Amino acid sequence: MRYKIRHETIYAYAKQVDLAAHMLHLSPRPLDFQRVVRAQVTAEPTPTRTRWGLDYFGNQVCWMFLDAPHERFAVTLDAEVEIGFPSPPMPELTLPWELVAGEAMQAAAAEFAFASPMVLADSGAGAFAAPSFPPGRPIMMALLDLTARINREFAFKPGATTINTSVAEVLRLRAGVCQDFTHLMLAALRDHGLPARYVSGYLRTRPMPGQPARRGADQSHAWVSAWLGQAMGWVDLDPTNNLVVQDEHVVLAWGRDYGDISPVRGVILGGGAHSVKVGVDLEAI
Amino acid sequence: MSEAAIDEMVDGRGHLRQHWRGLLGAFSMLGDGGLAERGRRLERAFAEDGVTSVMPGEARQSWQMDPVPFPIPADEFATVEAGLAQRATLLSAILDDIYGKLTLLADGSLPPALLYANAHYLRLGPAPLFGPKLHLYSADLVRGPDGAWQVRADRTGQAGGIGTVQENRRQLTRVLPEAFRALGVRPLQPFFDRWQEALRPLAPPGRANPSVAVLTPGTGHKLWFEHMHLARVLSCALVEGGDLTVRDGALFLKTMRGLQRIDLILRQMDGSLIDPLELDADSWIGVPGLLDAARTDSVRILNRPGSAVVEAPGFAELLPSLCRRLLGAELKLANASPDTVPSMAPCLGAGQLDAHPVVWRAFLMFDGTAWHMLPGGLARVLAPGADRDHPGVAKDIWVLHDEQNDIIGPIATPTPRLPLRRNAGELPSRVADNLFWLGRTVERLDRVARLGRAALARLTRLATPRELVELQALAACLIDAQVIDVEHAAPASLGPALMAALRPGGAIDALFASVARLTEKVRDRLTGDMYATFTQTMRAAQAEAIQPDLDGTRLGIAAILRFCTAVAGVAAENMVRGGAFMFLDLGRRIERAQAVTHEVSIVLNLPAARIESGLLLALELCDSAITYRSRYLNVLQAAPVLDLVLADQGNPRGLAFQLVAMHGLLDELGSESGVREMLAGSAAGLLAEVEMMVGEVLAAPDQASAASALPKRLADFIAELEGLSSRITRRYFAVLPEIQRVGTGETLMLRGAA
Repeated sequence: MRYKIRHETIYAYAKQVDLAAHMLHLSPRPLDFQRVVRAQVTAEPTPTRTRWGLDYFGNQVCWMFLDAPHERFAVTLDAEVEIGFPSPPMPELTLPWELVAGEAMQAAAAEFAFASPMVLADSGAGAFAAPSFPPGRPIMMALLDLTARINREFAFKPGATTINTSVAEVLRLRAGVCQDFTHLMLAALRDHGLPARYVSGYLRTRPMPGQPARRGADQSHAWVSAWLGQAMGWVDLDPTNNLVVQDEHVVLAWGRDYGDISPVRGVILGGGAHSVKVGVDLEAI
Repeated sequence: MSEAAIDEMVDGRGHLRQHWRGLLGAFSMLGDGGLAERGRRLERAFAEDGVTSVMPGEARQSWQMDPVPFPIPADEFATVEAGLAQRATLLSAILDDIYGKLTLLADGSLPPALLYANAHYLRLGPAPLFGPKLHLYSADLVRGPDGAWQVRADRTGQAGGIGTVQENRRQLTRVLPEAFRALGVRPLQPFFDRWQEALRPLAPPGRANPSVAVLTPGTGHKLWFEHMHLARVLSCALVEGGDLTVRDGALFLKTMRGLQRIDLILRQMDGSLIDPLELDADSWIGVPGLLDAARTDSVRILNRPGSAVVEAPGFAELLPSLCRRLLGAELKLANASPDTVPSMAPCLGAGQLDAHPVVWRAFLMFDGTAWHMLPGGLARVLAPGADRDHPGVAKDIWVLHDEQNDIIGPIATPTPRLPLRRNAGELPSRVADNLFWLGRTVERLDRVARLGRAALARLTRLATPRELVELQALAACLIDAQVIDVEHAAPASLGPALMAALRPGGAIDALFASVARLTEKVRDRLTGDMYATFTQTMRAAQAEAIQPDLDGTRLGIAAILRFCTAVAGVAAENMVRGGAFMFLDLGRRIERAQAVTHEVSIVLNLPAARIESGLLLALELCDSAITYRSRYLNVLQAAPVLDLVLADQGNPRGLAFQLVAMHGLLDELGSESGVREMLAGSAAGLLAEVEMMVGEVLAAPDQASAASALPKRLADFIAELEGLSSRITRRYFAVLPEIQRVGTGETLMLRGAA
């Protein structure tokens, strides 16, 4: 599948901003199954200084520094990618989840089995997930069950939460958006000793022919990457839409939680009250 | 307790240890109660130097120090130095691996939780930061029952306390010079000289005279004194995050003369807080973009952010095996176990020496090639309840000279000659702002004390009808100064309202609190004498002014005036006429100019027939009655009075004097000529205007009527003065608009997804 991406973020400030620094995780991550044909990030006004690099997790990161006073900041990603996620393994053939947890500490995946600033250790999330993890169940079966249960038992309700809403709060509300469901699932898996990471990216705007409309399609999206053990590696699951990620998603970056890879984050001097407008379009070509 | 603690002073057979003999000999020379007296002196010295806070509402206690030092023989010091140098080398190697190839994790030498569940592990990305990861290291040592020193804790983050060691030594040698001379104690200064020297090559290449700054979280931080001392012993700037800005990948200090480059940061705040752009977004004390500047080697940060990761207790138990693995050697100093009983050292008790368990905090510095240990340190007496936040009583560590070889020569590398500087130079904008408001607030306090005293003098006797008129005017002035409310203007309620204003929570008390807060904020710009004068006279004034009755209050309030005068005097006599003094003075002059104008316009707000009482009051409030009498005897006329309080440039309490002083200060401060001329020009314009006003009263056929009409004209003048004041504030201090974050806060609501 080939996609054209346009992701626009516009900040409007009530007062002049004298100095601004932004850190962007806004460029598709090149992967074996994701070829980045082109990716361009442009900003208005033009930053005084722009730097590119990799972050700790290997994601592309762009820093933009603006020294000149401005009342508006717009940053846009224009990209084209070709994706072909591998087919997920046959669920019955995956390892029992306890064995995966047992392998985790010897692997590079270990880091993603620990609590993180926005996904604190939450035994409530573990308890919620427990019915999906009976002893000896192959991990992929457990993951599919958990993904389906989150999708079924939690209401997709934009506005019910903010980006700082905790997993405990989401559990109480039984509602949220993609970031909340992702954080919840991460907390649930980590509570079982399983490595799981937060993936930020996009979902195609118009569904494939014959498919229902997806949730969160005109925004930045988020989902879970779960570890199946040393031999099988990672598989991506979208609890918001109850999907195994295959041909409708584009990966920007991954980390431990939203805080590691928020697409646009910044510190500004001045500015007063501000508003932000975000638009995402993922078009199949 | 399996084994008994060792006594530092007496050996197992009850004999005095060799290295204590000189010390006890020196103590005995002090005579009966001599040591206790020195202990009291030490306590007083710390209190006077203000190692206590005047901040209201904070129960920070005075720094406590035991006058009995802790002597360490030369050979024992050498053993510990070698052991800690090895440990520092090992910890550096571990940090290199953790923030590098991470082989220790891959081969199972480190359990993943030690890193991944460690808040001090910073995920900074693959681009390297420059300079050593560890530059300053400290360790808490205890002497175990076997007599050997063991390490209780490693400090690789900010390694606090070394500035305090120097301060302790300074105070102790002052109160106990005999003992210091008698023992042959190794001085600390050569270490600090070497350290200062070491910083030069540690800065990014190509900086001949690098500017070094100690980065502190601010005056509110519990270790701020330590940071201030550290900046002093290393002769570098003490800065807060708000003082710094990153422009085009380089770090600058915001000073009154523009941006000044910073090359090397000695980090005294948690690594996760230094850059809110990349690390903790909730940090308001960091500098956005600092890491970007560090990645291009435009500035170096020591210790490296994230260096505290190896402080986690889990690391200590791995050190013996990691030492073999990384250094190919056995670990020289063992870890203390949690139940190791520290050795006991004598401390001054009630009339005799009592033994208490003691921990030695030692400090080492890496100069780019080798580790060097401070020949001294901070010993802490482990009183019950003492911990990291409440260090308890401190002791000075005295490392004794080895008779044979301890000749400390001069440092080999020459320092480049400094160009002479006599200007205001590097005053950070924030400091100038605080000095300006300190000047204004002290002056405001002076004003309300004068008004209060004048009112109380009339309230405490049977007031004549004229005095009742004056009281009305004084009440109006006090309302204008926001000391009392309108409903307390009547004579019956004016006195109680004034007394209430002096008590905690009152308006005058609030001014004291502001002075205290601002004094703390500019503390590193004040000499010890100045600080002592500020704080001690202020405490005395604050206490004295609270009295049970009106007459007592009238007398007590004079203490406030004495405080204000003392501040002015000590500033005039002790501050170099650079930026710091100029901003303090500018604040004072603006405040006083406004006060005089407001008061004259209020007291003259009378019909022409009764203008006389207004004129007298104007003279009283401007402290000018005696001068008037000496010039004009007992003849009271409007023009001479107004000339003295408004137009006479020689009267320091009058308006013209303030305008002339402001003109001079603004002329000297402004760097861009346009701004300077504009501001200084405004002051000159105001001066001309006031001369014209007084001239018109003089020329008027009826001076009383002309004076009575003056308040109307002064209203415009007050507005102009207000305008000048806000232009000055904008020009010099509007550099610090509020910081906010975007993209990570509540403001970005998730509409559909995230």
